Amino acid sequence: MITTVSFIVLVTQNKVNMTLLKVKRNAMNLGFIAFLISSFSLSVNAADVAAGKAKAEALCNACHGPNGNSQIADIPSLAGMPPLSISNTLFYYREGNRKNPIMTPIAATLTNAEMKDVAAYYSSQKREVTYNTKPENIEAGAKLAQQYNCTQCHGPNLLGVQHIPRVAGQNHDYLLTQLKGFKAMTRADMDGNMSSAVSAIKLEDLVLISDYAAGMKSQ
Amino acid sequence: MIRKLIPLIALAVAYGANAQTPDAPPPPSWKQGMSSEQNSSPLHPFAPILTGVEAKDLPISTLKVPAGFKVEVWMEGVTNARSLLQSPQGTVYVSNRIGKNVYAIVEKDGKRVMKTVAKGLDTPNGIAMIDGTLYIAERGRIVKLENIENRLDNPPEPVQVVDGLDPTNGPGHFWKYMVAGPDKKLYFNIGSPQNITLPNYIQAAILRVDPKTGVMERIATGVRNSVGMDFHPVTKKLWFTEHARDWITDDLPHDELNVLNKVGEDFGYPFCHQGDLPDPIYGKYASCDQFTKPALKMGAHVAPLGMRFYTGKMFPAEYKNNMFIARHGSWNRTTKQGYDVMRVVLDGKGKVVKYEPFLTGFILNDKGDPPMWGRPVDVQVIADGSMLVSDDHNGIIYRVSYAK
Repeated sequence: MITTVSFIVLVTQNKVNMTLLKVKRNAMNLGFIAFLISSFSLSVNAADVAAGKAKAEALCNACHGPNGNSQIADIPSLAGMPPLSISNTLFYYREGNRKNPIMTPIAATLTNAEMKDVAAYYSSQKREVTYNTKPENIEAGAKLAQQYNCTQCHGPNLLGVQHIPRVAGQNHDYLLTQLKGFKAMTRADMDGNMSSAVSAIKLEDLVLISDYAAGMKSQ
Repeated sequence: MIRKLIPLIALAVAYGANAQTPDAPPPPSWKQGMSSEQNSSPLHPFAPILTGVEAKDLPISTLKVPAGFKVEVWMEGVTNARSLLQSPQGTVYVSNRIGKNVYAIVEKDGKRVMKTVAKGLDTPNGIAMIDGTLYIAERGRIVKLENIENRLDNPPEPVQVVDGLDPTNGPGHFWKYMVAGPDKKLYFNIGSPQNITLPNYIQAAILRVDPKTGVMERIATGVRNSVGMDFHPVTKKLWFTEHARDWITDDLPHDELNVLNKVGEDFGYPFCHQGDLPDPIYGKYASCDQFTKPALKMGAHVAPLGMRFYTGKMFPAEYKNNMFIARHGSWNRTTKQGYDVMRVVLDGKGKVVKYEPFLTGFILNDKGDPPMWGRPVDVQVIADGSMLVSDDHNGIIYRVSYAK
């Protein structure tokens, strides 16, 4: 099935590329589509979703929930995350950039290929969001997410981009713990981006943002 | 009233061109220095694939080199491969920016084998070798592994040479590039802590330390961030690349290739960029005439990293003492550029007379997000005269060779 998907994608990509050659200029949007398709086909070719599913069911779902929809408040959901955000995080755990008494030993058993397989599997799963944002926080949360640059990196709907994780529909307690960790500069952080983003946000606003993001049902 | 406003004005200046309201929080470090018009810009830096990509899953055949040259995959699975270094014995050492290890690649029974020679370091991006000792520049200190060639399978614990090299311990350009000088001192950068800011005494500078005594000197200032240096094989002058600031325009300022003619030269940051462009905030405090101008304007946002002079015997004679410069590629630009290795030719007086692409093909779509499938970081001429190129995005090292 996976082979079929990538085959179709490659064929489509060739068609788009040929169109691109004909159109040459004025091809910005088509080029963008062609790239999206080509990067998709690269990631599909490089990772084995079925192997990732088997690994996830054996190793990860007990805590991260069925299909990566966590039922435990301080454990993150992984369903629907950008794949690079999952595989890079597993790498951080294995190499010691990020530390956790449960995740560190689990990541230590995974090869790079297995990390990518697991990431591809979870990213293909649908996020189920049952959390409800307090009504008074919906508008205020959206405003803070803009004001504090959340949407700049995590995307307009906070669904994550490339290595940046999805925070829409993430477990509230987990989100708040991470934000507090960034503020205290105790949470692993590539180039310090999150710590600098969070440094000036008041605790009550971190609570509000967590409540807002946790209830976002955008897919 | 005016007096009451002064702290507010000072605060607004401190946040620089990020013309937000004074109570707005500081943005992530890479966004610092944006104008209010740029606030909704979709441009952002790209992160590497830390778990690596195997060569079979990459469009290697799109890579291009001049006629007679050949490019091939030399090693894969070298996570976040950054700086390269070959020892006199032929071992290739590879550093890391996001990971914590330094690797050694040796040939054994005709096969290349990778060994881990240092573990658990903090941003070990810089590597240099003097008299058989491998020096590693971490985020805040330099450590050494003595007599490493004889201990590749049982490496010693790193021993600290000097520390205190990360003055702010915050976000910013905290990774270091390092080379060994002809004087057996270690030369390295300390980057600017932000995109555009007034640096402290040892920031935005190139320093050197004598590893025997620990004595440190600041030899160049006004260097926003240099992640590539080498000494000219004849003149012994230090040449280095420099990343200019972001968020002026798509086409300004240019990144720089610089040469240090005497100790203590100031290259202009944060007051003046590319030798002739006053900074929108800090430009009013100085004139561009006060500073050393770049030897070459390298293009806006192209991100020049590792550079080496070609001292091998394999390439044609006209390549002798040419420079090769890896360009990591732009993110802070609507149409992306860079993502290649450039060739720079100097005349007898050390003036740049040619600047042309040498290894290209990493970019797929200059409007894409991301636009590339690979990113060159460092170049290293090895004993047989061929040249290695590291790619931190995929964890791959390529080899460029020449045959008549």
